[in-house]
Amino acid sequence: MSGCARSARTLSVSPTDAAQPAAGQLPSGARDVLPVEAAELRAVEDDLRATFARYGYREVRTPVVEFAHQLERADSGGLDRAYRLFDEAGRVLVLRPDMTIPVARLIATRLSAHPGPIRVSYTGPSFRVPQPGKPVASEHRQAGAELVGADGPEADAEAVLLLWDALRSTGLEHARIGLGDVSVTDAVLDALGVPPEARGRLARAAEGRDLVAWRAEADALGIDGPARELVAGLPAMRGHAEIVEQIAATVPAAAPACARMARLLELLDQEGLHDAVLVDLGILRDWQYYSGLVIEAYADGAALPVAQGGRYDGLAARFGTPRPAVGFTIELEFVHRALAGSRGRRPLDFGLVLVGGLDLRQAQAAALRAGGIPVIALASGDTRAEALAAAEGWRFVGHPDGPAVRILDRADGTTRLSSTPLEDLSSLR
Amino acid sequence: MPLGALYQDAIALLEAAGVDVAPLREGGRKLVFQADDGTMFITTRPSDVPTYVEAGAADIGIVGRDVINERRPDVYELLDLKFGGCRMVYATAAGEDPTPEIIARLGVLRVATKYPQVAEAHFLATGRQVELVKVNGSVELGPLVGLADGIVDLVATGRTLRENGLVEREEIFHSSARLIANRVSHKLRAEDIDSLTARLGQAVAAEAV
Repeated sequence: MSGCARSARTLSVSPTDAAQPAAGQLPSGARDVLPVEAAELRAVEDDLRATFARYGYREVRTPVVEFAHQLERADSGGLDRAYRLFDEAGRVLVLRPDMTIPVARLIATRLSAHPGPIRVSYTGPSFRVPQPGKPVASEHRQAGAELVGADGPEADAEAVLLLWDALRSTGLEHARIGLGDVSVTDAVLDALGVPPEARGRLARAAEGRDLVAWRAEADALGIDGPARELVAGLPAMRGHAEIVEQIAATVPAAAPACARMARLLELLDQEGLHDAVLVDLGILRDWQYYSGLVIEAYADGAALPVAQGGRYDGLAARFGTPRPAVGFTIELEFVHRALAGSRGRRPLDFGLVLVGGLDLRQAQAAALRAGGIPVIALASGDTRAEALAAAEGWRFVGHPDGPAVRILDRADGTTRLSSTPLEDLSSLR
Repeated sequence: MPLGALYQDAIALLEAAGVDVAPLREGGRKLVFQADDGTMFITTRPSDVPTYVEAGAADIGIVGRDVINERRPDVYELLDLKFGGCRMVYATAAGEDPTPEIIARLGVLRVATKYPQVAEAHFLATGRQVELVKVNGSVELGPLVGLADGIVDLVATGRTLRENGLVEREEIFHSSARLIANRVSHKLRAEDIDSLTARLGQAVAAEAV
């Protein structure tokens, strides 16, 4: 009898039991963030927020859970990879798969009386079901900004400049911004009378980043003259203003769209961004969604763009308040990864592990904290101070020595006897 | 660099495009080679090439269209290098094609393949139900020993099919070697990649003449 009970219990905790996750196991794509990474991610987020604030982009927040129906108005495709659940009335809910559409909903429905232009920013997680076999997390920590109710290359330039300043504020050095323009591509195809079916095939090739398929489709269009090579090579055209000049010269009907791009580049040049920006007409993400400029940002050490965005003038109208809009979303974890790759070893945290801080030296610990020096307090006689400082990555260890404190600096291994620890440590900052 | 059937042609084309391929010719058991100009070559099995490029471990790669269609990596496909030509086909045992009869009577076709994604997409697009048997080698055995009704596989000359008593029934797509690039490298090293793509394009065109 007791033997049976024991074997049943053994079975229920067996690691082969698929219904019971092993200790520490998380759902596919999910992960924990430990103290060092959390502090660094927080620093990146603080830098981005401060930059957004300097440009007057006020923070908004939207709920993590929304009605699927609400988001489907704007983008049926984007919900493919959303986590879905049901509310108490059986309605389908989603965990927001991105921030742009909820923020567009917020602006269109809550700020419809605002005269515009509206400048808002946001930071927070969004969620996508991970694809099997791809090393992408299910939770994306994102930060972004939207400029709504402003049209024209001047507004586009502000968005690009803000993105550049925001990325630079985190300490990212080797970054580049790629600019595509759906309206330039559309104007060229319109002018040459490319039928909708062929355009659909071209769009699929562009979205799949398949320049070989694009060239094959373009060659099949039967266009003559210099426009033939222009269309076939369109998504491979990269450089700067000379590209849009060349397109305007070859296809005059595309000149207005090209002039707009040229003006944007001129404005960015004036801000000193000439070398930071690469015009690349192959950047044609989500043709349905974007209406003009398409933005991507890249950094060494991140295998995917650290930021994406663009102009989507049609989005707000789907929530009942038509307004032009341009914006971008930065992937915090990609920025952090690029920074971690370029910075080498992390310095020790500036703080003191103080033996006796819990009892004999309570007043000293309080004074240090009040003076801006972080203190981890231990009881007198605790022998774990050095090990603790090593585990936490803290720079200083203090032991009471008469009325003074003997302070070990783990950065260089030196020891000093200090009767005024607040002043002595402050001077080392 | 894809080891195997595409390897020698890939080296020859890179050389024709002015790339220093001397280290690759040395051979040996090394998997990573460094040229004097700093170019690093990574050699790996073809099906892993998109993985290295997608993850940014390599900026660019050379790989067959068959692997791209199967893996669907998020990379730029820049150029058709034209060599390594072959076709992805559906084949069954010689004689009358058993496919319509199987679909009509059993509803589901059993197909052995190394390319489950490609096979599934093909039969989905043609409105037929399929049960895929994933095998890792000697696919041609499948119909002979009753593992499957047919196979989806890559053929170059068709000799292997013939020798195993199989007949091609449907062509799924034409494959050749492609130049692919990581999404970020394609922008951060735009000048280098555009220059190499142009030189490779000229070398491909010269080859075709």
